[in-house]
Amino acid sequence: MSTATDRRQPHLALRAMSRRKLLRLGVLSVAASPLLPRGGRAAAQTGGAQPAPTKTPTGELKNPAEFKSPRVKASGPTTISFWQYVGFHVDVQKFIAEEYKKRHDPNLSLEITAYPGLNEQRVGVKSALAAQSSTPDIIAIEPGAYAVDVSTSGSVLDFTKVFAEDPEYKRGLWPNALELLTINGAVVSVPAVTNTVIVYYNRGLFQQHGLEVPTTLEDLKKVGAALNAKGIMPIAYPAGQDRNFPIFPYYTYLGGIKADKLMREADLGLKRWTSPELVAGAEFVEMMAKSGLYAKGPLGIKEPDAIQIFATGKSAMFWGGQWMRRSIRAALPPSFDLGIFPFPAVVAGGPRPVLSSVGITLTVNARSKYPDLAFEMIKALTGAWGKIEYTRNLGLSPNGPISADAIAYQMQSLKDPLYPEFLKLQPTGTTRVIFTPAVEEAMTQGMQALITTQKTPKAVMESVEAASQKVGTRRFRTG
Amino acid sequence: MLSPAARRRWRRHAAGYAFTGPALVVLAAFLLYPIGYSVSLSLHDWDGYTPRWGPFVGLENYRALAGDEVFWRATMNSVAFVVVRTPLEVGFGFLLALLLNRRLVVRSLLRTLFFVPVVMSLIVVTIIFQRVFEPNTGLLNTFLRAIGLGAWAHPWLGDPATALGAVIAVSVWKNVGFSLVILLAGLQGLPQDVVEAARVDGANAWQLTLRVITPLMRPILALTALLSIIGGLKVFDLVFIMTRGGPTYSTEVLATMLYREAFELNHMGVASAIAVILVTLVLSIARAQTFVLDEAPEGGKA
Repeated sequence: MSTATDRRQPHLALRAMSRRKLLRLGVLSVAASPLLPRGGRAAAQTGGAQPAPTKTPTGELKNPAEFKSPRVKASGPTTISFWQYVGFHVDVQKFIAEEYKKRHDPNLSLEITAYPGLNEQRVGVKSALAAQSSTPDIIAIEPGAYAVDVSTSGSVLDFTKVFAEDPEYKRGLWPNALELLTINGAVVSVPAVTNTVIVYYNRGLFQQHGLEVPTTLEDLKKVGAALNAKGIMPIAYPAGQDRNFPIFPYYTYLGGIKADKLMREADLGLKRWTSPELVAGAEFVEMMAKSGLYAKGPLGIKEPDAIQIFATGKSAMFWGGQWMRRSIRAALPPSFDLGIFPFPAVVAGGPRPVLSSVGITLTVNARSKYPDLAFEMIKALTGAWGKIEYTRNLGLSPNGPISADAIAYQMQSLKDPLYPEFLKLQPTGTTRVIFTPAVEEAMTQGMQALITTQKTPKAVMESVEAASQKVGTRRFRTG
Repeated sequence: MLSPAARRRWRRHAAGYAFTGPALVVLAAFLLYPIGYSVSLSLHDWDGYTPRWGPFVGLENYRALAGDEVFWRATMNSVAFVVVRTPLEVGFGFLLALLLNRRLVVRSLLRTLFFVPVVMSLIVVTIIFQRVFEPNTGLLNTFLRAIGLGAWAHPWLGDPATALGAVIAVSVWKNVGFSLVILLAGLQGLPQDVVEAARVDGANAWQLTLRVITPLMRPILALTALLSIIGGLKVFDLVFIMTRGGPTYSTEVLATMLYREAFELNHMGVASAIAVILVTLVLSIARAQTFVLDEAPEGGKA
């Protein structure tokens, strides 16, 4: 079990970890899988293609991927700026930038400005772009509304040329992640990591009460009823965290009936939000709110509260994102047996929906003085070698498939038996991005109204459709 | 060429201009110019990303706001914030000031304790109160259950019916110490001969407070109320961190709506229109307040 030191410096604590200990974690005993070949990617899109880690050979493992030399190098000392909003990524970004400087381009430095949060960073970026500033060279943007805004205003460069020059780099990125970042037929940003939304559960509590991991909605309801009868809240769901969380159940349902594409078309104003499938999504949200599955008052619960409820055994499950893994782990007592499972199938025979997101994504300011160098730096951060280093200690999923050897290398320093489980889930992820800000706002408010049973599903979707129509013809389209 | 009289006048006022000039420049650059910019932007359509503003739309942004249900809700919430918060803040502040103006053994300690929330970081306060109001394990509901009032346990921030009240309660808790300090200073500056004369005339504590101290304190009370009203109208951080205006816009106030329109929906013109309305509202109230004070028959000037 992890100690306080481990949590603070997992890479140090784990460097000394023996192979036997790793084997005890149960993650390295899986048969070796080959490096994912090109053909493997098609399978990756449909799920489960991420390989399990290979058995650890003797000696310290190294990053098995090649850190490729850039096509363009700085002619003299040059600093490129990077504005991002996720503080805990800074160390690894700095590490990769330093390695890049050491190995490939001694003239090039990366200056990272880490804003305390997305809102602050977005305001800063917006001001810089409106002022036609050449700074920052590299921008971390959030997919959905933010990506659309910067792209359709002509503020960022797309990756068409980069992908044409280096198709292998493009092949290293999950296609479904790139699809989320494709606007007007061009990829405007590339993911640094990927994330999943899943259900964490208290394995010990489940075993204690003889409960099985639910695979269907009916199973989930039965598990919920059994837990409620014993005075345990079924799911801690922090719907009050931000504007996106209240929409999770809706996205989950649409993923579960494979209606992502329909949602995207409605988002683009091409289909109506009042179509039966999309209204059914709202009915699912309402059903979940009334089912007794959530801890009381989900809109009044934020992430830290939900984690506390879950960590203290007051709830048996926690519906949240992979990005919360560290916070959850840090809050758990040593004896806590943590498991994850994808949300149960929402319709009979349907898939188990795993929401995916692309977390932090990187793009280049259209007015950057060094666009080529900026693209090279992004490739260093997100390319074959970089993605393995980037996710090695963060425990977030990489932006594309990595080899079994790479996973074994990462597991040397990452004390998290759940990590390979997350990697298996990622390729099955469904989209959860709405491009039109006014529609997203209407969705957030509508879902809140459903959770608090203030409106009917039909009324909510009518208000979303009204917001969509008010926007009129979209200036953007997906690729 | 200036006439000799004009030159003399200029020389007489040169020092004044020299001293006030820098302040006026700063005022113009950081107050007047942004206000003018906002007013102008409120008459345009702009997404905030493109270097140039969009087309001139006249009063369209204001018209859109007038027909926007959320705007009226935000306005009503802002008004509710003021109408509920100000009397509580000033009322409790005054009561506490009266209490602490007496010779109590623990007076200094109490003064410090009541002022602690004022100097606490707002982020810390909101995080604490999110935990207090958490529906399942929060302090408030746990306390209610412990004293047998479990039926009153409630998702305070998660229910549109109670969310605004909960946020206002936090605001009062945070700011009452500020009112207390101002009012206490006012009480200690009252002419003691008048108070003593009332005592000699046989006024009891109640009469003394109601008939003598309160009228004398009127300018200070008005000042405290004005500060509270302005603070209530422009409240943003507390609401934004605690509820982001939700659920279902139940805690949306003008400042959070302004932010949402500007930075989430990219309606810079509409956001500027809200800013203009908010500034007008604040200035009007400030002016009305000073007018009332100026008209006060006695002790009217603060």
